[in-house]
Amino acid sequence: MSDVLVRATDLQVHFTVRSKGLRRRQTGAVRAVDGVDLEIRRGETLGLVGESGCGKSTLGNALLRLVEPTGGTVEFDGTDVTALNAQKLRALRRRAVMVFQDPYASLDPRMTVGQTIAEPLQIHGLHAGNRAGRVAELLELVGMDPSVASRYPHEFSGGQRQRVGIARALAGEPDFVVCDEAIASLDVSVQAQVLNLLRSLQRRLGLTLLFVSHDLSAVRHLSDRIAVMYLGRVVEVADARTLAADPQHPYTQALLSAVPVPSPKEERNRERIVLRGDVPSAARVPSGCRFRTRCPQVFEPCADHDPALLPVADAHTAACHLRNASRISAESSTSA
Amino acid sequence: MSVLEVNDLRVQMDTARGTAHIVNGLDYSVSPGETVAVVGESGSGKSVSVMALLGLLPGHARVTGTAEFDGKNLLAMSEPQLRTVRGNGIGMVFQDPMTSLNPVLTIGRQLTEGLLAHRSASSKKAARERAAELLADVGLPDPKAALDRYPHELSGGMRQRVVIAIALAGNPKLLIADEATTALDVTVQAQILELVAGLQSEHGTGVVWITHDLGVVAGIADRVLVMYGGRCIEDGSVDEVFENPAHPYTRGLLGSLPALHEADGEDLVAIGGTPPPPTDLPQGCVFWPRCPVRADARCETEQPPLVGIGGTHRAATFYPGVPA
Amino acid sequence: MTTVPNEGAVPNVKTTVRPRSNGFLDGLKLLLKSPPALFGAVVFVVVLVMAVFDDQLAPTGANEVDIQNRLLAPGAGHWFGTDDLGRDILSRVILGAKVSLQVGVVAVGFSLVVGTLVGLFAGYYGRWVDTVLMRLMDVLFAFPAMLLAIAVIAILGPGTTNAMIAIGITYTPVFARVTRSSVLSVRESVYVRASRSIGSSDLRLLFRHVLPNAAPPIIVQTSVSLAFAVLAEAALSFVGLGTQPPDPSWGRMLSEGREFIDLAWWIAVFPGLAIVLLVLAFNLLGDGLRDVLDPQQRSALQAGRRTWGRRRK
Repeated sequence: MSDVLVRATDLQVHFTVRSKGLRRRQTGAVRAVDGVDLEIRRGETLGLVGESGCGKSTLGNALLRLVEPTGGTVEFDGTDVTALNAQKLRALRRRAVMVFQDPYASLDPRMTVGQTIAEPLQIHGLHAGNRAGRVAELLELVGMDPSVASRYPHEFSGGQRQRVGIARALAGEPDFVVCDEAIASLDVSVQAQVLNLLRSLQRRLGLTLLFVSHDLSAVRHLSDRIAVMYLGRVVEVADARTLAADPQHPYTQALLSAVPVPSPKEERNRERIVLRGDVPSAARVPSGCRFRTRCPQVFEPCADHDPALLPVADAHTAACHLRNASRISAESSTSA
Repeated sequence: MSVLEVNDLRVQMDTARGTAHIVNGLDYSVSPGETVAVVGESGSGKSVSVMALLGLLPGHARVTGTAEFDGKNLLAMSEPQLRTVRGNGIGMVFQDPMTSLNPVLTIGRQLTEGLLAHRSASSKKAARERAAELLADVGLPDPKAALDRYPHELSGGMRQRVVIAIALAGNPKLLIADEATTALDVTVQAQILELVAGLQSEHGTGVVWITHDLGVVAGIADRVLVMYGGRCIEDGSVDEVFENPAHPYTRGLLGSLPALHEADGEDLVAIGGTPPPPTDLPQGCVFWPRCPVRADARCETEQPPLVGIGGTHRAATFYPGVPA
Repeated sequence: MTTVPNEGAVPNVKTTVRPRSNGFLDGLKLLLKSPPALFGAVVFVVVLVMAVFDDQLAPTGANEVDIQNRLLAPGAGHWFGTDDLGRDILSRVILGAKVSLQVGVVAVGFSLVVGTLVGLFAGYYGRWVDTVLMRLMDVLFAFPAMLLAIAVIAILGPGTTNAMIAIGITYTPVFARVTRSSVLSVRESVYVRASRSIGSSDLRLLFRHVLPNAAPPIIVQTSVSLAFAVLAEAALSFVGLGTQPPDPSWGRMLSEGREFIDLAWWIAVFPGLAIVLLVLAFNLLGDGLRDVLDPQQRSALQAGRRTWGRRRK
């Protein structure tokens, strides 16, 4: 059994932009995910960070084929999921699930909480004859009183609804859970509760987690490794502690320096890297290195060569010419 | 001479579920050039408290107390009087720039409208020039071209800059920002915070910054006010409150934040339960049902008053600084 | 084995401690607490009883001609008076109830089922399915309702059964449109995505999630359509294309009573009142039903926090 549970190879998700009018020609593409290689190891929590428009949510959805990849492959436990038929895809959906961002929208308002949690059991034919028992077990697992199964979502707070969403995701005993901004819509004090819950569940059930979030601190807290995304590409991957302490990619450095820290002393004394300008549109990705339009350390090769994600240290990769200078000069000398 | 002085502000509203006590006795003041941060989670009453100052609450809301701005009590003003204050003496920035800006008017039009209405400019031409100046001040690239753009053509960060430009157009003495950077990416937020700090030091504007993000507070505030259940449960200088949080809620809040550089593997200190609804506030201390300290029955029946605990630091608890 | 602390427990939620009542009977009881819905239910039941026990209830037959007692005003022997042929109006009203109800229910039943299915698939699948189905509906929509009904009758011939078919076809596009627009907004919901993510098939998503949440406008439309169907039947009968003589029909009675409106107002007024009351009843019931079926509204009603139709101060 391989160490890697989920592997994305050159994964692409492009949304076509069509002209209005009768013929609707394709006028361009929004390159939401633009060539991502990623490995998620069994039992680990991989954090996926980036700002709006970087493609992290789309990537999470594409790994589960909730959004169809337009290029590249995704392997789950050795099987290529991009080629699965409907029946096998349904089987996949028991093992690979998602927890959604909005607790107020992710539960069907017309179904009781118990019915919502039992739905995976019905779909996959599990625990027939004792579904109520399994639902009660799941409610307790996420820290809720089993007797609330007959209530409707509107009777609960945001944090409680999110717990229900987690219980539903775990009903079929999945191996892989994608948390798509799962704490972003919650109050700060509730976020801590849910973070603790996720961590304890991961440990108890041996889950593999992909934690997608724009909140770097939360990601750092929960994840073993972190991947940073910018405009459809992964620009840096490292062990969580290393990434926070010694980021190599200029974007990661800027991101970290922009995260506000709840300590006035630190805030006064820190060095801020404030980026100029806005994120370019994913429909018009800059040539060469896509970060070069805002990078404080941009130099010659950046406009012409798209940097690959290469090792810069032990178990630490980054896609930046600065860090891979030796690589480029080696390449250009061979091609000359 | 403070720019704003709020005294015993209370807001109540009747709802289908009974009377909601949304704000329960708020006192604070803002000096020129000072930033006061009001921190709280949803339901704490922080947004409603500033809407009350500006007269933006629905008609059936009952507001009592005083709010002295520029020598006059805002809460006693009529709607026409408030209208001259809004946008002129007091600038406002809200969370969502897409709903703060009129989507069918160009940026230039929205700026010049305000300038002409408050007579900050004498003619349309002068107003346009002033508008371009303001856009340049907030760091918008190519301000003259931006005047003819519509809000949807700009990014979120740019739109928020425009909202700030409109807010500062009348050279206000006070700026009120309600979750102004919450919807923005963290790198854009950093830009906006830097912008506001710069403009503030240039013009000496007083700022009331409302947020739930303690990190932002640590970076920009001089003074902090922590709200819970409609009350101020702790206030003081930002150093006082962050270095020595006294109220168990503040301590809990600070403890529940994941830090970028922390020891591994420790669980976050989470505050159990959820904030109380304003229609059903607890009898005694408003935080009592969730308080990890829970030292004695006094907390359940008596409301702890805001008492000084050193310097300008005050906390509304019988057990300041006691660990759980 | 460590247990996760019960931080998410519901005890803080003080609102619903009363025993859960989600059954059908409880729903019915709740529905009948509202004065308007109760009125609607009562009227409906009365009409239903009239329709079912028509022969037993009616004092005379539908066509007992009694020239000597023609054009009698409402009084002791004839509570609703008699018409120009001496027939007892009360009996004819009672006997006509069956036709009105039958046509209403059957016609709307047809358009509800067909229209909803069309709207469901058109709205959910979109693309060419949507285009083909909705253009078909548009063709039907293009005809003014009465004209379409008359056209169908012209093909099939007059009569009660054909009236049902005609009215059913006429109202199908309305249901299709209402359903489709409701489905369009519901299908984007996160809970639909969430259900898909755990492996729901399209059919399951459609009938377990989309349809129930798209239902409220459809329910309201049903009650409106029932009302219109009753009116449409009356109109068709009025012009002689619906229920044929000598079968009684409220619409025909209206038509026949027209020329006597000065002399004997009761011939037209009583059947007219019957139509109005039934239509009103369907509307009120529909509103009440929509509220009871919505879990959020239902909770609020159960807790007494809302009085029907108005917020309590």
